[in-house]
Amino acid sequence: MGIDPVDTGALGHEVAQARFNRLYREQGRAILAYALRRVAAPEDAADVVAETFLVAWRRFAEVPVDDGALLWLYAVAGNVIANQRRAERRRTRLGARLAETLRTEIATHPAPRGEAAEILRAMGELGAEDRELLMLVSWEGLAPGEAARVLGISALAARSRLHRARRRLKGLLREREMAAAGEALDMEEAR
Amino acid sequence: MSARELRRLLAAADPVDRERLDRLDFAAMEAELAADLEGSWPVADPGRATEIRAADAGLLPRPHSHRPRNLAFAAGGAVLAIVVALVIALAGGGSGPSSRAYGAELVRFAESTPLLLLEEPGWRVQDVSEHRTREGTDGTMRFVTGKPVSIEGVKHTGSVDKAGKAFVEGLPPASARQRLVELRWRPAALGPVEFGPGGKHLVKLPVLDTIATVNTRATLYANEGGPGDREMVATWAEDGDIVEIQASVPNLAGMEERLGWLTKVDSQTWLEAMPAEVVKAFDFEGAVKEILKGIPLPKTFAVSRVPDEGLTTSRENVTTKVTATVACLWLLQWGEARRDGDEAAAAEAERAMASSRTWPAFRDATEGAPYPAEEIAEVAAAMPRGYWTYHGHHRDLLAHAEGIGCARLGLPLRPEKQKRQRENGVPPPPG
Repeated sequence: MGIDPVDTGALGHEVAQARFNRLYREQGRAILAYALRRVAAPEDAADVVAETFLVAWRRFAEVPVDDGALLWLYAVAGNVIANQRRAERRRTRLGARLAETLRTEIATHPAPRGEAAEILRAMGELGAEDRELLMLVSWEGLAPGEAARVLGISALAARSRLHRARRRLKGLLREREMAAAGEALDMEEAR
Repeated sequence: MSARELRRLLAAADPVDRERLDRLDFAAMEAELAADLEGSWPVADPGRATEIRAADAGLLPRPHSHRPRNLAFAAGGAVLAIVVALVIALAGGGSGPSSRAYGAELVRFAESTPLLLLEEPGWRVQDVSEHRTREGTDGTMRFVTGKPVSIEGVKHTGSVDKAGKAFVEGLPPASARQRLVELRWRPAALGPVEFGPGGKHLVKLPVLDTIATVNTRATLYANEGGPGDREMVATWAEDGDIVEIQASVPNLAGMEERLGWLTKVDSQTWLEAMPAEVVKAFDFEGAVKEILKGIPLPKTFAVSRVPDEGLTTSRENVTTKVTATVACLWLLQWGEARRDGDEAAAAEAERAMASSRTWPAFRDATEGAPYPAEEIAEVAAAMPRGYWTYHGHHRDLLAHAEGIGCARLGLPLRPEKQKRQRENGVPPPPG
């Protein structure tokens, strides 16, 4: 089929399969959480996980063997999501099974309320790359340097942009507080 | 709101329920994954598997190129040389465009912009700035007629109107704002344009060879706009970029007129339109010296230690690089002094770092102290005790301080990181 199997002298197929399964078991949840935070429907997140690990299998020789594996998977998952928005969804067995599991065990995203809703709304007003950086650090728990590797930017740029993103987010939250106070005042005056 | 409070709010807003996620049995789904993988193999040599390469090319991580420090300095030097060449070319006058020879780096920079100019007598470029992202370059270019117009002094008063728009002070009068046109661009790959609610204020106007969507009510502030003073933004797609023109105009006809002045040019013409002020604004060395005022410097500091990576670096970016370089050099001195038992040198570094909140570059910043002001202050506060505290545990302070970006600046703080950079051919930090 025109695809070179892995060099059995360097990395046997079975060894690769075992290592790959371990990667999936260790990082599958993290990739699912990453996807759930970035797509609207759980079944789309399931497809992102399946597609990400298919790419990881095909390019297993390029997946870092250390802690960098998770960052590599995050970067692929991010690209899969971007691709998913442009293309038809690709059905895989894992995607279908995971989607079914998510439907029964996780249901849907709980609707955010209160402070969480305010934060999410304010995050929505940030630039796409700033928002992604903030999510990687706040939710995926990455250090700025690690987030930089996922985004393919320099660590210095990531730290600088993160600082700006947090400052902008604070500003947006302050503006919202002021707007809410203004509305409350209007309602009081109207009474 | 403190940084800690913001971090708490962000963590609490995570839409994923981790407990539920942990309960998912991933191992139970391995059979499905194995079935998906059936018939495919990992690619041993990415270069040989063209079929897979094409399918996965867009999905693989994009590596960031980490240039060794000596190369980065070489590139910085090249940019400065080009800037000098540009000054000479601009000052020369008289000769036609074909006789101007701009450096390749500058031409590349020009070509990373949409190469658009407002061609109307009396209008000129006021300033340009750009920012490189993974997807491409985003930037801003302002055109002005008459005296330069500054909108940097606009400040919120703390009041908002019923629609939630803030009242501001320091906004130039309409007569000044209407002498300014702002062109912005960003890679289309960053996502589609979202106009939000209020579609009734959107109209279509021709621009270049296409049609722009114009938001005729793009007013930002509560005490802005009114009859004869409308803020409008025209948006369209142009060669892989989303391009916007924002202008204060008397009416829609004014916006149409400005869009009509917009012209596509070649890179030579574009570069010729760059004002001398733009070049002078990026007199990198001069900017560094200005930012250094009032900052205590270690003996190892030299202006050339601050990396210069681009033509249109903003002042905030230069401040970040300058202050981070100074802090990293102080931390290097501190680390070595502690290893050598030199208490005086360690105390000198601690005093210098402890003064960071009063460094004019941080203290006088109108929009809040830029990065890494907070990080330097946090590290400085921990220096006298000699370690970083993380969840009640003592951690290596220099390892934490690397977060300021010292290694990226060519000034790794820990001996093991210095060794790694030496092995990669990066010159050692100053002794």
